[in-house]
Amino acid sequence: MSAGAGAERPQVVSHVQQALSYTVFDCKWVPRSARLLCLGSAARGTGLIQLYELHGARLELLREIEKPKPIKCGTFGATSLQQRYLATGDFDGNLNVWNLEAPEIPVYSVKGHKEIINSIDGVGGLGIGEGAPEIVTGSRDGTVKVWDPRQSDTPVANMEPVQGESKRDCWTVAFGNAYNQEERVVCAGYDNGDIKLFDLKTMSLRWETNIKNGVCSVEFDRKDINMNKLVATSLEGKFHVFDMRTQHPTKGFASVSEKAQKSTIWQVRHLPQNRDVFMTSGGSGSLHLWKYEYPAQRSKKDSEGSEMGVAGSVSLLQNVTLSTQPISSLDWSPDKKGLCVCGAFDQTVRVLIVTKLNKI
Amino acid sequence: MPVWLRERSWRQTLTAVYLSLPLRGARATPANIFCSEQYLKVSIPPFLFEAILYAPIDDTNSTAKIGNGNIFFTLYKKEPAMWDSLTLANADKEKLQYLRENAVLKAQEKAKEETEAKKITKQEHKKYALEATMKVEEAERKRIEDLKEKERQKVAKELELWKKQQKNGDKYKSIQKKGELHQEIEPLKERKSEKINKTQIPNEGTSKTRLKSTKGHGSCSIFSQNLKEEQLPAPRAAATIKVNFTPRVFPTALRESRVAEEEEWLHKQAEARRIINSDLSELEDLKEEEKNPDWLKDKGNKMFAMGDYLGAVNAYNLAVRLNNKLPLLYLNRAACHLKLRNLHKAVEDSSKALELLTPPVPDNENARVKAHVRRGTAFCQLELYTEGLQDYEAALKIDPRNKNIEKDAEKIRHLIQGTMQSS
Repeated sequence: MSAGAGAERPQVVSHVQQALSYTVFDCKWVPRSARLLCLGSAARGTGLIQLYELHGARLELLREIEKPKPIKCGTFGATSLQQRYLATGDFDGNLNVWNLEAPEIPVYSVKGHKEIINSIDGVGGLGIGEGAPEIVTGSRDGTVKVWDPRQSDTPVANMEPVQGESKRDCWTVAFGNAYNQEERVVCAGYDNGDIKLFDLKTMSLRWETNIKNGVCSVEFDRKDINMNKLVATSLEGKFHVFDMRTQHPTKGFASVSEKAQKSTIWQVRHLPQNRDVFMTSGGSGSLHLWKYEYPAQRSKKDSEGSEMGVAGSVSLLQNVTLSTQPISSLDWSPDKKGLCVCGAFDQTVRVLIVTKLNKI
Repeated sequence: MPVWLRERSWRQTLTAVYLSLPLRGARATPANIFCSEQYLKVSIPPFLFEAILYAPIDDTNSTAKIGNGNIFFTLYKKEPAMWDSLTLANADKEKLQYLRENAVLKAQEKAKEETEAKKITKQEHKKYALEATMKVEEAERKRIEDLKEKERQKVAKELELWKKQQKNGDKYKSIQKKGELHQEIEPLKERKSEKINKTQIPNEGTSKTRLKSTKGHGSCSIFSQNLKEEQLPAPRAAATIKVNFTPRVFPTALRESRVAEEEEWLHKQAEARRIINSDLSELEDLKEEEKNPDWLKDKGNKMFAMGDYLGAVNAYNLAVRLNNKLPLLYLNRAACHLKLRNLHKAVEDSSKALELLTPPVPDNENARVKAHVRRGTAFCQLELYTEGLQDYEAALKIDPRNKNIEKDAEKIRHLIQGTMQSS
C-alpha cells in the first residue's frame, strides 16, 4: 500500500508494537490519558492486568497486577472520569470492579455467572450519557445480566433461557439508546446467530433476529443517543449494519451486510469522534476501516403503510494486515482521534494511528 | 583440382598494399576470404587464390572490398617497408604447408579469443544492467519508506504534544484544587471512614507525580461525587426476561458453510433411529436369537428344504425387516415364492436381490446367476417369454458353462418362435 496511491485515503500506521509473555484477550485505553491496559491470561493459568504508558515510540510498563483467574474482558464504561475503575469479567464467571491504585481488593465483586464471562459493557459513566451506571455481562451459561455497582449480589436485570431450554453461549453484549435517565437497551449476540435486543425500561424483548452465523461482536455507534446504527459481526467474515431508527412490526430493522474476508470478524469498534466510521478486526490478522453512508431516505412506507427502514451502504476505506493470528481486541482512544490499540493472539499488543480521518 | 586465380594486380605504398583480384564471374562473400598475418587465401569453389605474403601484415585492420566482379584488398603492413614482390618467391611446398597450417591455427585462436572477449563484455553489461535496476528499485522503496516515516514522525509528535497537554492540564488542575481544598481534607477524611467500599485516601507523600495528581483528584471528587450520587437514579428494580433461542441441535456455533454437512448428518441419524425404533416396538416379545437376521435366514433355508414354503417366507420376511440390505434373503424368498407360484412376488424379490448385488463382481456371480434364473423362470411361467429369455441369457453370460441354463434358454427360444409362427 504505497503512500502515493490514494493519497487522501486514511492510512493505518503502526506506531508501537509490544511483545507480551501472556495471551492478551482485551486491551483498553484509560480515559483521559495516554495509558492503556492489557487484560489476559498468563501461561500458569492466572489473570494479568498490565498498565502501560505511551512514551514516544515505545510502551513503558507502569504496573502489573496478577489475579487468581484469567481475565477475559474489561470496560471503563460505568465509572466516573475521576475514579476510572475498571470492571472485568473473568474465566470463572466473576465480575469485579477494580481501583487500579489499590488493586488488592475489588471495589465490587460478584460471582455473576456459572461459566466464563465472554463480554462486558458499561454505560452511564465517563461523563457520557445519563442515568445510573450499569454493567452488562454476557456469559457462556446463556445468560445476560445487568449489574449496578451500588447494588451487590443481585443483578438488576437477568436475561436467561426459559426453563428447560438448552442454553446457547452468549458471545457479545452492548448497551445502547441511553439518551435519558430511563431509556436503555441491551443488545446480545449468541453463538447460534441470534441477536436479541432487550429493552430495560419495559424489561422485555424488543427485537430478535438470526444472522445465520455465530455473532462475535455487536456495538451501537453511540451508547448515549437515540439508537441509530448497530453493527453485528459474525463468523465466516460477514458483518451486518442495522438501521435502528425505524422498527417495522414484522420485518424488524433494515440492514446491509458485507462479506469482508473469509475469516471470522472478531471485533467491531466505532470511532468515538465520528459515528459513521468503524473498524473491524479479522481472524486473519487484518484490520478493515469502513464508512457507512446513509441512504437518501432513511425510511419509507411499505404496502400496508407501516414505516420501514432503509439501509444505506458501506464502503471500505482502508485495510491492512498486521499479524498472522486473529486480532481479538480493538479499542479507539476517546481522547485522540485516530489512535487505537489492538491485541492479537500472537501475544502482541500494537498501538496504531489512523491518519487523515479528518478528511472523511 | 581447384582452378587457380593467377591474374592479380597490386601496387604498394610504404605502409599499405593494394591488391586487386578479378573473380572471373564467381561471386564472393566474406566467408570465402581467409587472411592471417602472412597468408592470404580466397577460396570460391572451384576457384582458389592463395598467397604467402612477402612480409607480415596487420590482418585485423586490413580490409577487403567485394564488388564489380573483383575483390580489392587493402593490407596494412606491419613494418613500413617496400616489398620486392607480393609473395615470397622461393616458397617450397613444406614451408607453404607449414605457413598455411599456422595461419589457420592462428586464425582459430583469434576467433576463440574474440568470442571469449565478447562473452566477458556481455556478462559485464548484464551485471551493470542488473545493478542499475536494483538501484532504481531501492530508491523507489526508500522513497516510500521515507514517506511513511515522515507520516509516522508527524503523528508521533502530535501525540507527544497532546500527551504533554494532558499532563499539564492535570497538574495544573490538581495544584489548584489542592490549594482550595486543603482545609477540607480533614472533615473529608472523617466522612470517608464512615462510608463502606470507598478507596483509602493515600498518603500525600507518595512518589509519582502522576499518582499524586489523580489522588488529588480523588480527594476533591469524592466530595463532589457525594452531591452527584444524590442526582443519579436509584438502581433499577430487579427483573428477569425469559429468552428463547433459535433451536440448534449441535453445541457448536452456527456457520453457514457447515449447514449442509450438519443437515446430512442429522438426516442419517434420523434414518438410523427410525429403523431401530420401528423394529423395537414389534419385536419385544421375540427371543434374542430370533432377532438375528442370519439365524432367521438359516431357519428359512431349513424350512424350504423341508417343503414348508410359507414358514420360510415368514422367516425371510422377519429377517428383511431387521436388515433390508442382505441380498440373499430376497434371493431365497424369491425361490419360495416360485414354489408357491407367487410369480409376481418372485419377480420383485429377484429384482431386489439383483439391485443389492451391484457391483457385479466374481464374488457374487453365483447369487446373480440364481437371481436371473429365478426371475427368468417366473417370467416364463407368467408367459412373458421374451423377458424370461433376457434373464436366461444374462445368466448364461455370467456363467456360460451351465448346461441346464443353456437347455432352458433353448426351450424358451423354441417357444417364442413357436408362438410367433402361430400368431
